[in-house]
Amino acid sequence: MKVSLNWLKKYVNLDGIPVSEIIHTLTMSGLEVEEVIDQNEIFKNFVVGFVKEKTKHTNADKLSVCKVSNGTDELQVICGAPNVDAGQKIVFAQIGAVVPNGNFKITKAKIRGTESFGMICSESELEISDNHDGIMVLPADVKEGTPISEALELNDVILEIAITPNRPDALSHFGVARDLSALFQRELKLPEINFEESSEPIEKFAAVEILDEVNCPRYSSKVVVNITVKESPAWLKKAVQKIGMRPINNIVDATNFVMFETGQPLHAFDLNMLNGNKIVVKSTKEESQFTTLDSKIRKLPLNTLLICDAEKPVAVAGVMGGENSEVTTETKNILIESAFFNPSSIRKTAKALGLSTDASYRFERTTNAGGTVYAAERAAQLIAELGGGKVAKGTLDVYPKIIEMPVVTLRFARVEKLLGYFIQPEKIKNIVTSLGFEITDENENEIVVKVPLFRPDVEREVDVIEEVARINGYDNIPTIASFSVPLGVKNDDSSFYDKVRDTAVGLGFFEMINNPLQNEKIAALTGSQIGVLNPQSLDMAFLRTSLIPGALMVASKNFNVGEKNLALFEIGNTFNKKSEGNLIKEFSDFTEDTKLLFLLSGKASLKEWYSDEKNISFYNLKGFINSFITNLALDNVLNDSYYHSEDRIFNLVFTKEHNGSVIGKGGRIKKEVLKQFDIQQEVFCFEFDMKVLEKLSTSKTKYIPLLKYPKMMRDFAFIFDDDVEYNDVASFIKKKGGSLLKSVRLFDLFESESLGSGKKSMAFELEYYDENRTLTDEEVEKDFTNLITLVSGEFKAKLRGN
Amino acid sequence: MLDEKIKSIHSEFKKEISGADNQKIIDEIRIKYLSRNGLVSVLFEELKSAPKEEKPLLGKRLNELRNSVTLMFEEAKEKVDASEKFSEHKIDLSLNGIARSIGSKHVLTQTLDEIKNIFKGMGFSVALGPELESDYYNFEALNFPHDHPARDMQDTYFINDNFLLRTHTTPVQVRIMEKQEPPVRAIMPGRVYRNEAVSARSYCMFHQVDGIYVDTNVNFAELKATLVSFAKQFYGSELKYRFRPSFFPFTEPSAEMDITCFLCHGSGCKICKGSGWLEILGCGMVDPNVFKSVNYDSEKYTGYAFGMGIERIGLLKYGIDDIRIYFENDLRFLKQF
Ligand SMILES: [Zn+2]
Repeated sequence: MKVSLNWLKKYVNLDGIPVSEIIHTLTMSGLEVEEVIDQNEIFKNFVVGFVKEKTKHTNADKLSVCKVSNGTDELQVICGAPNVDAGQKIVFAQIGAVVPNGNFKITKAKIRGTESFGMICSESELEISDNHDGIMVLPADVKEGTPISEALELNDVILEIAITPNRPDALSHFGVARDLSALFQRELKLPEINFEESSEPIEKFAAVEILDEVNCPRYSSKVVVNITVKESPAWLKKAVQKIGMRPINNIVDATNFVMFETGQPLHAFDLNMLNGNKIVVKSTKEESQFTTLDSKIRKLPLNTLLICDAEKPVAVAGVMGGENSEVTTETKNILIESAFFNPSSIRKTAKALGLSTDASYRFERTTNAGGTVYAAERAAQLIAELGGGKVAKGTLDVYPKIIEMPVVTLRFARVEKLLGYFIQPEKIKNIVTSLGFEITDENENEIVVKVPLFRPDVEREVDVIEEVARINGYDNIPTIASFSVPLGVKNDDSSFYDKVRDTAVGLGFFEMINNPLQNEKIAALTGSQIGVLNPQSLDMAFLRTSLIPGALMVASKNFNVGEKNLALFEIGNTFNKKSEGNLIKEFSDFTEDTKLLFLLSGKASLKEWYSDEKNISFYNLKGFINSFITNLALDNVLNDSYYHSEDRIFNLVFTKEHNGSVIGKGGRIKKEVLKQFDIQQEVFCFEFDMKVLEKLSTSKTKYIPLLKYPKMMRDFAFIFDDDVEYNDVASFIKKKGGSLLKSVRLFDLFESESLGSGKKSMAFELEYYDENRTLTDEEVEKDFTNLITLVSGEFKAKLRGN
Repeated sequence: MLDEKIKSIHSEFKKEISGADNQKIIDEIRIKYLSRNGLVSVLFEELKSAPKEEKPLLGKRLNELRNSVTLMFEEAKEKVDASEKFSEHKIDLSLNGIARSIGSKHVLTQTLDEIKNIFKGMGFSVALGPELESDYYNFEALNFPHDHPARDMQDTYFINDNFLLRTHTTPVQVRIMEKQEPPVRAIMPGRVYRNEAVSARSYCMFHQVDGIYVDTNVNFAELKATLVSFAKQFYGSELKYRFRPSFFPFTEPSAEMDITCFLCHGSGCKICKGSGWLEILGCGMVDPNVFKSVNYDSEKYTGYAFGMGIERIGLLKYGIDDIRIYFENDLRFLKQF
């Protein structure tokens, strides 16, 4: 919210306090000053000028050459405005001035061959109005050389303050002034109401009835008659402009002024447009339509709070008035509305209409139920002064149920317990009273305070403690040198994830973090997708059901920028509906799983002076996955299975299983799937369920004593039919190789013409040992020779080497 | 017969071994003559079928052959080994080394790890919670009433009236406290979502670390001390800081912590919008209404809570000027960290 420092100074004396200190103190008390607009800075180098002489430019019809005096010097200035003339006092932008509209700096210039030392400005160039019909002509009595900031009273400092939702009171100059008064211990002086009322009572002109007391607990109004609607005086126009509003007319400007002064939104109705001269506040019982004063037709949902006259709606309560009762230049008599509405009702309406106004913004944050009459009177006074009307006698104040001020007990000891330091009770009392709280009772341990209704955020002891802490300054809260840490079991839910990340990184993979929101088609590829109600775009409307599609999008993007060799991993959550089409009512209606994904594509090795180029294959994926599993000590816990058959995503499939259930699955991504992501090269992925991996990995690793006796190695190679699978042979060898055989390793595999067609050679290295003794050649030889016979027989294989 | 073979193999071997000047040939010779199915071994097989009376002599010859061949082989091998060692000066040391590729954690994970380690050192546990969260945990239990403007502070992706994508990791506080009596001392890292238009400055999701400490004697002074200690460990011990009053529905009193801008050191620049300060986190004393929703006695227990965004730290620390780059996962970006 924009706040004018000059305006604040009317309510609290800030003499002698530097602007920088005011800004700092506000920020440090919770009213964060986000931007400072210092008009003195903006209008530096702008002075009142006097046009001594005007002649036509010899080279341009529309330009004039003027002699301008700035009080000390006479300067030649080229001006293009038709209304410039000798004898005028004008706004003179001297060399070095920065023109607000367009933000350009005035320098010495040559225009059509003639030199110019400055610029004569229009109102729009100064951004003080939209008027760009020629230059701004100042009254003849201002002295040339006077700074413009002084001549036009553009010497204010405007503060842009970020108001948190708990501080509706600070959405007004009164509220900010009240904090300043507490912070600097200066008296707060709010304007007194002082006007003459006519002898005619308000009841003669209007009546108010509230039918929905829940949503409109209070409705106060004043009537002013025989007014003249016209342009506001300069001071009022300037005041509303400073806070970012456009001046409209004296009535609207006055109600806006009072809203920014008191925080109470007001609305002025043309009383003659109110049928039956009556206000009825009620909620809609059915959906309807209404034209607001911005000439837009609005759809009103059920239970919209409306201000009506005897026959028809005339305003959407708290949000915007209607076109049918708007103040126009014809208006003679007005009714000023100053009401208190139920915040959540206004919020619902504003949301439903998609319309946030200065009024609704304040009402939905809770306005001051105790201040409606004051604001109505303040506006009536101002309007009568500006519009020459008469204020009808009395106020229509319908307030069926008085809202009581909360009463809160504040214990001094509790302040110390919560903040960690002692504040003198006198100081506490001083702070709360300067904020407008009334101390109704007190003893040496506590005070009882009545909280004014303009502070809806203060209801409990802790809220008052915050006020004390805030005004006394958070800087005054000490820090302590040490603290105690409660003992007990410390858990780190993320430690397994960290371990997995370390392993993946060690294997050469880079971690990615993907956006879980994606389009429906992509999300549906891998599961039963859940959508969001209010997405930013269709491309981010559904939650991922697997990490694979997101990874493929990343792969595609990388390929496009020339990064063709990828080893990536991601740990992230995926979301699936439990059954297609069901609604999500409980946590049990969906699953949120943490997954781990590996992606490989491109070259396994590059052409280097020491190596040949090799493409990543299924075996690279399998090797990485097995290394990963071994690092987690799960190699003996999980089983593999493989199949060539296709599924939705893969066509070479590899799974890791535990007790028959799949906990990880991957393989080569099908061409049709790759096409959807615009990928031309082979991609391999593998996805694990992290929760299951984590559970399995908690089984403790056991130490195996180191072998004390030598190992004996043997090797053999056989020629097999080429449909014999490695794993069948290796398992057979392990099974039949005898108890001394501890491991089998395939170290060579090839096909060649010399072997004959349909044949392949596999060579195995066998490792024999015993944990308790040294083996003899003979016993190993016996087992080994026997194994050769068994393998030859089982697979109809021929031993190679002779 | 066998005798002839012994002689011919012996001479053939001598010829070959004399020409063996590198490891590759040495290996080939070993396989040809001395392996399991090598020529020498085969002769021993043939010995079995030799006439009985010739066996002792042939056996002796064969053993001599094996010894001689083995000896010559070892000598030749030693020579090759030595010569290769001698020719070490021929190795071009300026050639590129044979690399092993290693990956890296995402920069956000690295930042998070650093934060986690500091808080673990100060006795905090680490807890996780779901991203698809209920309105109750994300808002209601944290003192965000329905139809309250405080909800506007966090633009929300809704799944329906009761479920949403969590807007902060603060709901995990409630989940921990529901399960555990005080003392509770934990941080809660995780991913959160905000329904904002994607731009260089904002994204639809980011990462957060929340923290909470509840016990019988926790106060604001301790909150300040803990966070100052964190900031000094993380950002450097020289930093200046300040705590400003702020508003969060789940804390009262609430504060925001600023540190001196480490780009301009407080004189004001574009990053700190001229103020000289950078906001790094929000914090406060746990609101009694939050204690009420987890059935803690707010007379007996007090607590503090805090929360900070991770992406922002990287923006400041590494000069990253577009938040979207974190989630594009361009390998050229990932490799930089
Ligand atoms: Zn800075």
